[in-house]
Amino acid sequence: MTSSTDMKAPAVPDVPPPPAPPRPPKKARDSRRPRAPFRPYHLFFYLLLGAVAVSSISAYAWVFNVSMKTNGEFISTPPWQIAETWRWDNYVNAWDRAHIGMFFGNSVLISVASTLIGVVLAVFAAYPLARIAFRFSGALLGVFLMGLMIPWMVTFAPLYLIMRDLGLLDSQLGLILVYATYNLPFNVFVLVGFMKTLPYELEEAAAVDGAGPARTFVSVILPLLGPGLASVAIISFLQNWNEFFYALLLIHSPEKMPLPLGLFQLGQAADYGTNWSTMFAGMMITVTPVLLGFALLQKQITKGLTAGALKG
Amino acid sequence: MYKAAQRRIIVPFLAPALVLLAVFFLYPLIKTVDLSLNEFSRTGTMRFVGLEQYRLLSGDPDFYNSLKNTFLITLIGSGMLFPPAVAVAWALSQRIHGERFFRFVLFAPVVLSVAVVSLLWKFLYHPTLGLINPALESMGLGALAKTWLGDPATALAAVTFVSVWHGIGIWIVLLCAGFERLPEDVLAAARIDGAGEWRVFWSVMMPMMRDLLRVLVVLWVVQSLQTFAFVYILTGGGPFGSTDTVGTLMYRAAFERADFGYAAAAGVVLVVIMLAVAKLLNKVMKRDDLQY
Repeated sequence: MTSSTDMKAPAVPDVPPPPAPPRPPKKARDSRRPRAPFRPYHLFFYLLLGAVAVSSISAYAWVFNVSMKTNGEFISTPPWQIAETWRWDNYVNAWDRAHIGMFFGNSVLISVASTLIGVVLAVFAAYPLARIAFRFSGALLGVFLMGLMIPWMVTFAPLYLIMRDLGLLDSQLGLILVYATYNLPFNVFVLVGFMKTLPYELEEAAAVDGAGPARTFVSVILPLLGPGLASVAIISFLQNWNEFFYALLLIHSPEKMPLPLGLFQLGQAADYGTNWSTMFAGMMITVTPVLLGFALLQKQITKGLTAGALKG
Repeated sequence: MYKAAQRRIIVPFLAPALVLLAVFFLYPLIKTVDLSLNEFSRTGTMRFVGLEQYRLLSGDPDFYNSLKNTFLITLIGSGMLFPPAVAVAWALSQRIHGERFFRFVLFAPVVLSVAVVSLLWKFLYHPTLGLINPALESMGLGALAKTWLGDPATALAAVTFVSVWHGIGIWIVLLCAGFERLPEDVLAAARIDGAGEWRVFWSVMMPMMRDLLRVLVVLWVVQSLQTFAFVYILTGGGPFGSTDTVGTLMYRAAFERADFGYAAAAGVVLVVIMLAVAKLLNKVMKRDDLQY
């Protein structure tokens, strides 16, 4: 049987340190740093923050207001004039006739599938990298992390040609696989860091009880990954839901487009036609669920996206 | 025994992820260099031309124009981004009233799609139907009203502003973390020595956050040199090429002229420039680390 001394953590050279283990709860910080008493220069802060907040909120309110107007009203009245009536049929129009509903469905399908693939593959890949010592583990982790540093956008020309040769152009499957791949580096990075914080006695105990490594992974390690998996899944989903460039590159038929691309097409049409209110209703439909989700999961999303800023 | 069993799961566990990474990332990465050494005819056949694409690039005024614009976005953007981001992060680190609300409002644009944000601003900027010009006129500032995206003089700054507005939340949160990590005792010592808050901020906090600022500037440079979606949606590179970036130039080369070799060569040049600038910035902004 292995003793705990010869089960060393795999050495990982030339790799940024994995994210810190879970921080102490926020309360500790709050008590250390009490709210500062009001000082005159705080006025400047309130003015600055207030200005930013007012401008953002008024932009949102403006979109909502226009989405309630008719096209004629939109052109003939000043932007802050409140819409005459609640015209919800703009939303019905956007959902049905402007196909926002279809784009929404496509987006759900694409984001859910790619997030699922990206997270599942990352968990499997992260396990040996984090907890089994083997010769190329450092180099392999380096390959994954390279994906965090190289700008993906630059490789779009060969990617397009490869997708064409594989017959994955203009297919949702192709887009799903690309999104999943582009989630992998960040997911692996976070999950490796997370798995390294688990005690190594877990595997030994499982081995003593006669569980094989695959069984150990499924019934001992996986259940402990809850919080790490959740944050990785949220961030991946958000990125896949919002992605625009690869959708533009790879999807060409309207009936396969995800929301950002579909909305962009609508915007192009609104430039030349007069489909303004539908377009704004479409924007509200796109933005509101994301903002609601963000309001609920603010902490996880902020933390995850901040770690993801590495990815650029 | 158990270790040997463990070794058997390494390959099956890693293989699927590695296959995806190889097909959709590593192979295209290598292929970019390969493509840049080839010429594409309109029918899609490839011919090896060596460094010809790079020679074409070096004599192409459009490429220089797009490089200039890309650098301008980086430069103007860092001016729009960092002073407000530092000020806001400083404000939030004071734990003022309504902190949670302000954090929500400032970070909210980050979770929205680039496409949605760009569309929103495209309409906000609209000279007659938008929000900005009518608002200026109603405040008696009608002289300031402009066709923001239609005028080569303002288009680039307008596009840059949108990209800063979208991303500033991330920078604020990272800076907030920096402010929170500052050692309390050093700040208290400065205050006891009679330094005012402004003095503490400028002479104590900023020097201690130098390393973080360096990392953030490099991050901004790497990100802004890749600007594509904002430009593509807001202006499409116009008016008169005044907002054309390397990203949009590459995209047009590939899909309007089917010139994948040219696009790949521009991409390679962009990566080289990016690495060089990042390295240079790291060197210039590096000072002997403060110990605290």
